[in-house]
Amino acid sequence: MNVKEKRFVAVVAVLALAFGTTPVANAMHIMEGYLPPAFCIAWGVICIPFLVAGYLSIKKTLNENRKAITILAMAGAYIFVISSLKIPSVTGSCSHMTGTGLGAILFGPAAVSILGLIVLLFQSILLAHGGLTTLGANTFSMAIAGPFVAFGIYKLGLKLKINKHVVIFLAAALGDFFTYLITSFQLAMAYPSETGGIAASSLKFLAVFAPTQLPLAIIEGILTVVIIIGLETYASSELTDLGYLAGGTK
Amino acid sequence: MENIIKSYLDEMISSKVPQEVHMHSNAIKPHHHHKIDHKHGEGSSIDFYAYNSKIRHWNPTFKVLLSVLTLLLCIVLNNHYVSVAVIIAMTYLTVVKGGLPLRAYISVLMIPITFILLGTVTIGIDFSSEPIGQYNLNLGFCYVFTSQAKLWAMAFLILKVFGAISAMEMMALSTPSSEIIGVLRKAHVPKLIVELMYIIYRYIFILMDVHTKMKNAAESRLGFCDFKTSCSTFGNIASNMLIVSLKKATAYYQAMEARGYDGDLVFLEQTGSVKVSQLVFTTGFLAGLILLWYLTN
Amino acid sequence: MEEPILKIKDLYYGYGNGAPALDGVSVNIHAGEKIAVIGSNGAGKSTFFLNANGVLKPDHGEISYRGIPITKKNLKELRKNIGIVFQDADNQIVASTVMAEVGFGPMNLKLPKEEVLQRVDEALTYMNILEFKDRAPHYLSGGEKKRVSIADIIAMKSDVIIFDEPTAALDPVNAEMLEDVLAKLGSEGKTILISTHDVDFAYRWAERAIVFCQGKIIADGTPLEIFQNEKVLKLANLKRPMMLDVYDLLVENKLLRDEKIYPKSIEAFKEMLEIINNF
Repeated sequence: MNVKEKRFVAVVAVLALAFGTTPVANAMHIMEGYLPPAFCIAWGVICIPFLVAGYLSIKKTLNENRKAITILAMAGAYIFVISSLKIPSVTGSCSHMTGTGLGAILFGPAAVSILGLIVLLFQSILLAHGGLTTLGANTFSMAIAGPFVAFGIYKLGLKLKINKHVVIFLAAALGDFFTYLITSFQLAMAYPSETGGIAASSLKFLAVFAPTQLPLAIIEGILTVVIIIGLETYASSELTDLGYLAGGTK
Repeated sequence: MENIIKSYLDEMISSKVPQEVHMHSNAIKPHHHHKIDHKHGEGSSIDFYAYNSKIRHWNPTFKVLLSVLTLLLCIVLNNHYVSVAVIIAMTYLTVVKGGLPLRAYISVLMIPITFILLGTVTIGIDFSSEPIGQYNLNLGFCYVFTSQAKLWAMAFLILKVFGAISAMEMMALSTPSSEIIGVLRKAHVPKLIVELMYIIYRYIFILMDVHTKMKNAAESRLGFCDFKTSCSTFGNIASNMLIVSLKKATAYYQAMEARGYDGDLVFLEQTGSVKVSQLVFTTGFLAGLILLWYLTN
Repeated sequence: MEEPILKIKDLYYGYGNGAPALDGVSVNIHAGEKIAVIGSNGAGKSTFFLNANGVLKPDHGEISYRGIPITKKNLKELRKNIGIVFQDADNQIVASTVMAEVGFGPMNLKLPKEEVLQRVDEALTYMNILEFKDRAPHYLSGGEKKRVSIADIIAMKSDVIIFDEPTAALDPVNAEMLEDVLAKLGSEGKTILISTHDVDFAYRWAERAIVFCQGKIIADGTPLEIFQNEKVLKLANLKRPMMLDVYDLLVENKLLRDEKIYPKSIEAFKEMLEIINNF
């Protein structure tokens, strides 16, 4: 090894050590300032049709039943609080659920797109997770792509008559996993690799975030199942209340 | 296991801090958020700092616009001199003008540090089958490489990110969310969304209270003694919290109706007006940023 | 007798799960009355309040406010003139600053902004919490939140104020503050209804007591009459107030001549003793 190489190895070692000990950041919010302007705008534009659909669905629900506003707001606050809680972990590091899979299953993906947008805004203001300029990109990965995948898997699984709890686990875990894929891709598009372009860069981001995101997806799946079992046991009537919320999204 | 319990305790304490401190809220007492690696329970503290900021009485629309315009310039101009100028100016506003303890400010800025480091390193290094670039490392099957230029780009990116974060935090640490929502309302964000945001903001704190109580109750019965128990306790608390909150939702609506709410949510707001000097300084600052960019490009 | 301020006739209300929550309730409430509404948990007190305020719509029955029957059209009149201070302040507080919170009711009354601001200031001064104006409710203590929730209703200038179990979860100092406020409101001629489990408080404060049991009013009279009626006490899961017990014990043991004075508070008891000793 030459001197330069040695120095590089030292830097890598220090960084690796730092990551080994620093707590894991909340899910994978792209931070303020990370995306160039064109990407901020583009991702925002991509979100618009979904948000409009979500807006109309919420509006319809509220026109039918004005009282649903407190339930919807509770749902939003619930997703926020769930995603700000530290979840149990084996290593003692600090990580959080995204809560979007759970939200999609309980409240339907269309409502979650709007609630998710609001939650992400509050997360950036109140928790310094994510940012204003990256709101579009984060909304797409966390409030649209993740929930839609989770909801799709949930519906498909139910149709195929797979064990409900297995379905919920898969929906939440894969929804989370998909969010992580999308975020890596978003970062890679903004920062393509010199040698391999976007594809190689995506792989880099996937690899770097995998150690934190893969266990997280599995834990998210487990916790979502535990939460749903709890709800089924104690709150069948409340679930019916939510039923019409989810019903408004079809 | 010890870690889990300790971190839960930490979180429990930190989520309580604002309530305990409110008695002497005029002076922000130093409390234990100062460890730079402390990442959770910050939610309530940013909000808490906002209520206690000395520049809270500044017109919220002005603060939001200043913050957003600075943020946009920082990103669009993409210039490290601009980034540094933004960091200095925003830190000045937040810490000197706003009276936020420097350590609290740094701990807020450090919240996304993991993402920044991981994300930036990923951008800074690349893989290749050839030993190219100024610095490279043979991993056996391929080479990891980087270059002086890339390292500089990494440093500049970090500066830009911190500039952007400091611009956003200037707003977040001096303007309570309710006032930010008020600005959104003035900006003609659909009424439905604004209403939802107001209520969600209020409910977040109610749910956090509910959660703290439930967690303490579970903790007192050894609900977090090992990983498996922790998972099931976490899940049970989460589902219980939803049940409690949904039951409450009806009560909230009734209480609102009892005070004449008829589906049209309007809150009373009273905001200070913008001073001419503030406008002059802001225009000067933003123009200065552009000039700085022009001169250094 | 003058026209009752609130006249409720044959009110029925069911939540749709078994027994009706209100099962034929009729009551006349006159301006300036201080009424304690008592009864065990689930006897229908809260449901009664929500009906009286127009939040819940009775299955059948009639409510008139100052002689005008309430229909769908003038429901707002009812909400404007009858205010409820809810048991849990957290359920009631909706805004994220104290100013916006207290202004919520007046804003819903569609008052001009200047008047709302003035009312907010008045109400906060009334409750002695003007300095909380720009604070966030979520950083207030339980007692402070309670004050805000009372200021909420004072700002609406309702003629009738209903307190749903106001003393629950208050520390002694705040409970005292509450009684001071009640005395002040009473002296201003407000009609006040309070639901409570605190029989000593009801005995001390109220001029009239209404007892609910399983959705029905089973007794309506002065607190003294009610608390001397063993049958009612048993039906409604109530206990006798301490002052009444002490008085009766003293009389029973011939330590006191039965002058039918029935002091309701320690102060009144002292006064009575002084009068008797002076004989």
